[in-house]
Amino acid sequence: MVPIEYYLLLSAAIFSIGVFGILTRRNALLFLMSVELLLNAANINLVAFSRFHGNLTGQTFSLFTLALAAAEVAVGIGIILVLYRNFKDVDVTEAATMRW
Amino acid sequence: MWIEALIAVTLASAAAVFLAPNKVAGKLAFALSLLPLVGSLWMYSTYEASGNALLAGSELAFETNFDWVVAGPYSLSWHVGLDGISMPLIALTTVLTSLALLASWTPIDERQSQFYGLMLFLEASLLGVFSALDFFLWFVFWEMVLVPMYVLIGVWGGPRRKYAAIKMFVYTNIASLVMFIGFIALVFGLGDSVTSLDMPAIAQALRAGELGSLGPVGAGTLKVAAFVAMFAGFAVKVPVVPFHTWLPDAHVEAPTPVSIMLAGVLLKMGTYALLRFNFTMLPEVAQNNAPIIALFAVVSVIYGAMLALAQSDLKRIVAYSSVSSMGYVILGLVAYTLYGMGGATFQMVAHGLISGLMFMSVGVIYNTTHTRMVSDMSGLASKMPITVAVFVAGAFGYMGLPLMAGFAAELFIFLGSFGAFAGSVWFTAAAMFGIVVVAGYLLFAMQRTLFGDFEVETDYEVGPAAFHDVAPLVVLILLVILLGVDPSIFYDMIQNAVDPLVPATGGGV
Amino acid sequence: MAPLPFELTPAIAALPFVSFLIALFVGAFAPRLLPKGGAVPGILATGGSLLLSLWVMLTVSGGETYHEYVTWVAGAGEATFDLHLGVLVDPLSAMMLVIVSLVAFLVHIFSLGYMNDEGETGLPRYYAGLGLFTASMLSFVFADNLLMAFMFFELVGLCSWLLIGFWFRDDAPPSAAKKAFLVTRFGDYFFLVGLVGVFATFGTSMFVGGEGEGAIQSFPHIAEQVLAGEGAAEVTTYLGLDPQAWFAVLGLLILGGVVGKSAQFPLHTWLPDAMEGPTPVSALIHAATMVAAGVYLVARIYGFYALLPQVLALIAFVGGFTALFAATMGVVKREIKQVLAYSTISQYGYMMLGLGAGGYVAATFHLMTHAFFKALLFLGAGSVIIAMHHNEDMWDMGGLKDRMPVTYYTFLSGSLALAGIVPFAGFWSKDEILYEALVHGLNTPLLLAAYVMGLLAVFFTGFYTFRMVALTFHGEPRSDTARNPHDVRWNVKGPLAVLGILAAVAGVVNMLPVQKVLGVKNIDFLHQWLDSGPEALSAHHYGELLHDFAHYSAGTIGSGVTTVLLGAGLSLALALAGAGLAWKLYAVPDPEEHTDKLGGAKTVLFNNYYQDEYQVWLAEGLTLPLARAADKFDQGVIDGVVNGVSSVSLFGGSRIRRVQTGVVSNYAFLLTASFVVLLVVIGLVGGWF
Repeated sequence: MVPIEYYLLLSAAIFSIGVFGILTRRNALLFLMSVELLLNAANINLVAFSRFHGNLTGQTFSLFTLALAAAEVAVGIGIILVLYRNFKDVDVTEAATMRW
Repeated sequence: MWIEALIAVTLASAAAVFLAPNKVAGKLAFALSLLPLVGSLWMYSTYEASGNALLAGSELAFETNFDWVVAGPYSLSWHVGLDGISMPLIALTTVLTSLALLASWTPIDERQSQFYGLMLFLEASLLGVFSALDFFLWFVFWEMVLVPMYVLIGVWGGPRRKYAAIKMFVYTNIASLVMFIGFIALVFGLGDSVTSLDMPAIAQALRAGELGSLGPVGAGTLKVAAFVAMFAGFAVKVPVVPFHTWLPDAHVEAPTPVSIMLAGVLLKMGTYALLRFNFTMLPEVAQNNAPIIALFAVVSVIYGAMLALAQSDLKRIVAYSSVSSMGYVILGLVAYTLYGMGGATFQMVAHGLISGLMFMSVGVIYNTTHTRMVSDMSGLASKMPITVAVFVAGAFGYMGLPLMAGFAAELFIFLGSFGAFAGSVWFTAAAMFGIVVVAGYLLFAMQRTLFGDFEVETDYEVGPAAFHDVAPLVVLILLVILLGVDPSIFYDMIQNAVDPLVPATGGGV
Repeated sequence: MAPLPFELTPAIAALPFVSFLIALFVGAFAPRLLPKGGAVPGILATGGSLLLSLWVMLTVSGGETYHEYVTWVAGAGEATFDLHLGVLVDPLSAMMLVIVSLVAFLVHIFSLGYMNDEGETGLPRYYAGLGLFTASMLSFVFADNLLMAFMFFELVGLCSWLLIGFWFRDDAPPSAAKKAFLVTRFGDYFFLVGLVGVFATFGTSMFVGGEGEGAIQSFPHIAEQVLAGEGAAEVTTYLGLDPQAWFAVLGLLILGGVVGKSAQFPLHTWLPDAMEGPTPVSALIHAATMVAAGVYLVARIYGFYALLPQVLALIAFVGGFTALFAATMGVVKREIKQVLAYSTISQYGYMMLGLGAGGYVAATFHLMTHAFFKALLFLGAGSVIIAMHHNEDMWDMGGLKDRMPVTYYTFLSGSLALAGIVPFAGFWSKDEILYEALVHGLNTPLLLAAYVMGLLAVFFTGFYTFRMVALTFHGEPRSDTARNPHDVRWNVKGPLAVLGILAAVAGVVNMLPVQKVLGVKNIDFLHQWLDSGPEALSAHHYGELLHDFAHYSAGTIGSGVTTVLLGAGLSLALALAGAGLAWKLYAVPDPEEHTDKLGGAKTVLFNNYYQDEYQVWLAEGLTLPLARAADKFDQGVIDGVVNGVSSVSLFGGSRIRRVQTGVVSNYAFLLTASFVVLLVVIGLVGGWF
């Protein structure tokens, strides 16, 4: 059996890639994809611990997360479309009017 | 159940007036305000109580006390009741509200139903403040007062009403927070010896010395810290110099009836709370630091009077002289003598009536002349004789003319504070000098506005005031004289309620 | 059950109070129903008071006195005390009741001529003020304790304010009224401190003690016991002073009120200004009664002052100084009422001198005669003013003697009394004061200095009095109005006649020099009168106190008779010299302003030694700028801090909100960075590394 540390390392790596993407990319689509990476990093953790502890709660939770991710993508894409309509671009730094 | 009925009737009246059409709102509100007025007078006539509400061995009037919210061993109670300190203040509130409503008929000419509704709501909150004996309940009423006050100044006020309303609200609200922290620290310090926020229970526990330490803070430090926090919080309300600057702004911007309520009743909340909390619950802190507190009092008296001397707006003059007069209350309280504390409480009532009278007569003058600046008018006595006569009588009442309520109150305070604590002779003598300064600025203002050739720097026709403007003035001056000739109307019950607070030994008389 | 007149004593004050209420309410709501603008109820009421007072005096002369009080405010518990209102009728107060109600009655009648006949408006207000004043003054007189005395002391101040400012449409009267109230209030401040001190020290402020066990003692009696070191009396003293010194402080504080009300130096400045009021008011309030309240108060608690030699010496010195000081100013005045005002100040100075010098009876005697002749002079001046169409300048008068004989002869009677010419009333009383000051002064240098000042003042008194008489009534008329004066009616002449006779003959009640020189027994009626009544309030007892506590002893020059003759002769000679000089200078057909020859001195005198200037400067040059500075400080610093707190909050908020860039990436970075920092901190604290 693959030791749990391997899964955790994988998850951490994917999470870091996601964070890196969010912090460096300006394209909203890439943003969205990075967020998916973050969610899936969490999913890997859930599934790994589920197997490690021998109960299915973690896997069930990961299903919820998947559903949530799907909803999020739907909302996210919608926002991106509106963004494009208003700014003719999908650069997230352009849309900075939602402040004081 | 009478107190609940009183508050409920007032709240219901407020709601009814709120829904009434603007045209009838004023008359309806006045008529409805007679209900709590008659109720409170009835309560006064059947009043039977003894002792101080917060101390053991007292018998309260119209008391109800039951658990309201219970959570495990802890509970919030619905506890209301009257003793000799709160009964006069309840009567003062109802009397002054009715008269203030009458005085609003002329100046308030828009959104009447909302105005009168809020005034009645204010009255209900004030009645709650003076009758509640559970801290939670009391605090709810205490904060409830601010809401109508804020709106009344902010909507119907003068040109800088927003500034004044926000200043008043924020200032007094921050003060409430400071006070709240102080009080709650005490409650936590008491630990499990009290399981509710019932004020008598807390007061008795504190006086019995059950205060423990709170975290790293020892009982002694905690007491002093809580005292300071509560004193600072209430001092804003009184107001004590240097926490007074919201008051003149609020007064100048507020419409006349709101000023009457503000000076007449709201300021008394501060001194009432000081008496109930600081001076009843932590007497030894107050007595140990009496000279410092007395210094605040004396500075308020003299400095407030000096400020009044420098003003050129009649309403500002009266506003600053309120600061001065409330200083006497603090001096009387800190004396811890029968005449001192009794006189302080009596001064709350006396000053309520007299300052209400002064603001009302300034309002009547303003209604006709549309100016309040001393330099803009002279010789009003020839045009509005009755108003001026009452103004003069009120001004002499403010100066402490014998056989008027103010003299009795100030005399009691001076008798009580003379020799009551270290250095009190000097403090008392210094505070008394206020009677000279107050005579100075009032006489000066009267000479310039009321006497001499008639002249007004506005285009308005100046004539005698309407009956419903003058009637409340006359009623108030008669009340002031009545209380001055026979102070025992209230003083006996007041004395009975402050007597348990007075230590058996100690200087003074 | 006390005799009926004593039971009715409160009615003496209640009657004028009722007339006040009538004038006030009927005058406000139905002026047509008010006969003579309120004069008739006022006359009836003061007439009733006069009759009652006389009845009371008659009963007192039967050897009975009366003291009854009610509790005004009851102090709960044992540690405190009650406050009382009460009536004390003894020879002193009975005499004063008669004086006050008599003068009030006459002034009410005179007002018919001075106010009603002149067509003044606002008469109900005038008579209401007079009624309230009379009621308050009478209550002050029969007050049985210091608190009640203070209360009515203040109320007469209010009435004085109301009546000085009666002509409120002009500028000067309201200003004078304000000044009068403020200056006397300044004195009353000290009185109030003293009053509170008396309560704190003695636990009571009664003038006379009750009888029997547990009765309230009078505070002078307690003080006496304490100083004598006898009895069980205990007092609390303050400021770390011993009883003697502390009592002296209390005495001085109460004296503050006396100096203010009785217009003694340095608080005398209000009285000349108060002449802006109607002349009957000046006669009643600012000459005969209210101003007397201060002196009366000292006489009332003389049992206390007699224990305090330093205070007595100060009273005498202030009195003597004021007598001289005010008399010199009276010499140069142009207006008839101004002369009388300064003369009033000066005469009250004599009374203070008398009290301070241990002449309790002498001062009381002068209080009585002065009330008569000064009220007379003011009313006479009022008559002249009516005749002159309200022109008060004496240089516009002259030659009125033939045109208004009744006024002239009564005025002359008053003037002779004022100047102290034998046998008019003022001679006897002033002489007795000076005699007391002399004999006691022979052993006390300070008193002797006061005596010398008082003696010098006699010369000036004679001078200004006869300067006034000569300028007003003699010589040729110097204006058209003086040639054709306005007529006065019975209501002016009647009161003048009554007072004129009294001014001439009132001295017989106490012809002490005659008794001493000729050895006629028992004609010192006033001495006997003031010796009857309660022992603790008798002149005899005061004499003992003075001897035992103040160590006053009478000296003589040669024998007793020579001392009397020397004192009386000296003062009479000086008075005659002053009067004669004035007569020579001014009783000529066309007098000139001789006082101009005084040059700079005249300017100083005419400007009242610049006393007003510095007091006005204290009020307007010092207090007002101080108040303005306080206001600036308040608005700038204290309110500045409050507004500063709000500005700092707003400013801080506007800076901190810049973190909110609106760029999603920045938010994400902040989130991540904060999370990392949090992790590191938790890790460090939790010891993970």
